[in-house]
Amino acid sequence: MHLMQSKERAAIRGYGAYLPYYRLPTTEIARVWKGGGSGPNVEKAVASMDEDTVTMALEAARLAMKMSETKELGAVFVGTESKPYAVKPTSTIVAQALGQHHTLAADLEFACKAGTEAIQVITGLVGSGMIDAGLAIGMDTAQGRPGDDLEYTAASGGAAYVIGRKDKKAIGVIDCSTSFVSDTGDFWRRAHERYPRHLSRFTGEPAYFYHIENSVRTLFKETGHVPSDFKYAVFHQPNPRFPVEVATRLGFTMEQIKTGLLNPTIGNTYAGSSPIGLAAVLDEASPGDKILLASFGSGAGSDAFCIEVTDGITRTRGVNPTVKSIMSRTSKIDYSTYSKFRDKLQK
Amino acid sequence: MAIEYWRNRDRYYRLIGSRCQNCGDEFFPPVYRCRGCGSEKIVDKEMPKSGKIVTYTRLHEPLPGFEAQAPFYLAVVELKNGARVLSQVVDSPDESVKTGARVKATVRRMKVDGESGQIIYGYKFVVDR
Repeated sequence: MHLMQSKERAAIRGYGAYLPYYRLPTTEIARVWKGGGSGPNVEKAVASMDEDTVTMALEAARLAMKMSETKELGAVFVGTESKPYAVKPTSTIVAQALGQHHTLAADLEFACKAGTEAIQVITGLVGSGMIDAGLAIGMDTAQGRPGDDLEYTAASGGAAYVIGRKDKKAIGVIDCSTSFVSDTGDFWRRAHERYPRHLSRFTGEPAYFYHIENSVRTLFKETGHVPSDFKYAVFHQPNPRFPVEVATRLGFTMEQIKTGLLNPTIGNTYAGSSPIGLAAVLDEASPGDKILLASFGSGAGSDAFCIEVTDGITRTRGVNPTVKSIMSRTSKIDYSTYSKFRDKLQK
Repeated sequence: MAIEYWRNRDRYYRLIGSRCQNCGDEFFPPVYRCRGCGSEKIVDKEMPKSGKIVTYTRLHEPLPGFEAQAPFYLAVVELKNGARVLSQVVDSPDESVKTGARVKATVRRMKVDGESGQIIYGYKFVVDR
């Protein structure tokens, strides 16, 4: 058996999403570097010059804490590949700002799947009875080298989840998960390097598709679930095409993935990508709905989850702004402003 | 600079101010003696995270360390408990920054201590739309 399932089920008690205010149309990137056209996505979310993974993680965390009505956390984990410090945890700053001190705190790194790793680890800690509740955050200010294909999609944002015991405050039970990993060099950033490098087409078949298909098919095989059991499915979204393609291969329909498919208008928020897709789905889900969540992280691996929405979801309506409403409050910027905001100009 | 901010980090991250146990007045930044009744019975109190703009200006020549952010709005914000905070207002369209506008607190990067020093985080406000 490869299924990860805690004896006592853990559940999502609250969640919060964060996207920065600014959007860069990909026509702007194409205008500067290719003389016209656009990228695969329409726009991407861009953090302001005074935002980073700490500030965005904290915004999402405060919303998640408010919704969960949780006072004490036993763990604060931030999954990210854009830590503001090479050495000094993001998680301790977030914990301090939340007034949480008697807690585990750690930053997790696994490219774009660090956020779902945080969810898995906290599920285990809660399920084993070691802690009552923990905070899992997937958040990034994704880097893309100017002019590189990655620059069209590399975006900022993510989501936070308070995970606790399965009780009447639960809004979604984390029934089980699977993970699948291998040593795959599709995308990397060496120490002291500012931007990641990637192997273009190699990021698809042997990386994204191979790992997600394995994690999800393992979950299907060991639980007996089939795609039609799920009302919603959320896949990691490096671009608009890959999640649609992997969904089709696995037997899901567009109807099942459209709610959580945010890449076309926000880009790829790396470790925040599948977590914020899940938040968009939870905004609309009803008790009894099953959700399949599958992340992908380069290097490479995928985590797949089966989450069942519970009655507690009804108490969360209106507590926090929905992902849709956050996505509607934006301001478009040009490439020059983006360059200033993301420190691409060297004086 | 980092040590000074570190000592006051709860003030900058959580808006920790003061409450007078004698008359109930609340203050930000924290005080040692109540400005209302003079009592020294003062306790820490987390301030409300929302309020309204009392007055504001658009700053084009900021203090050292803030040059890259210029021009920006600096406002006196009255919190829901009556305490007043001097703060930047960010991520808000020009037409929304006005006297009486409702704002909510956020935590942002304030400045960086030199080339390799620590990042200073603190409160700023955003117009609540």
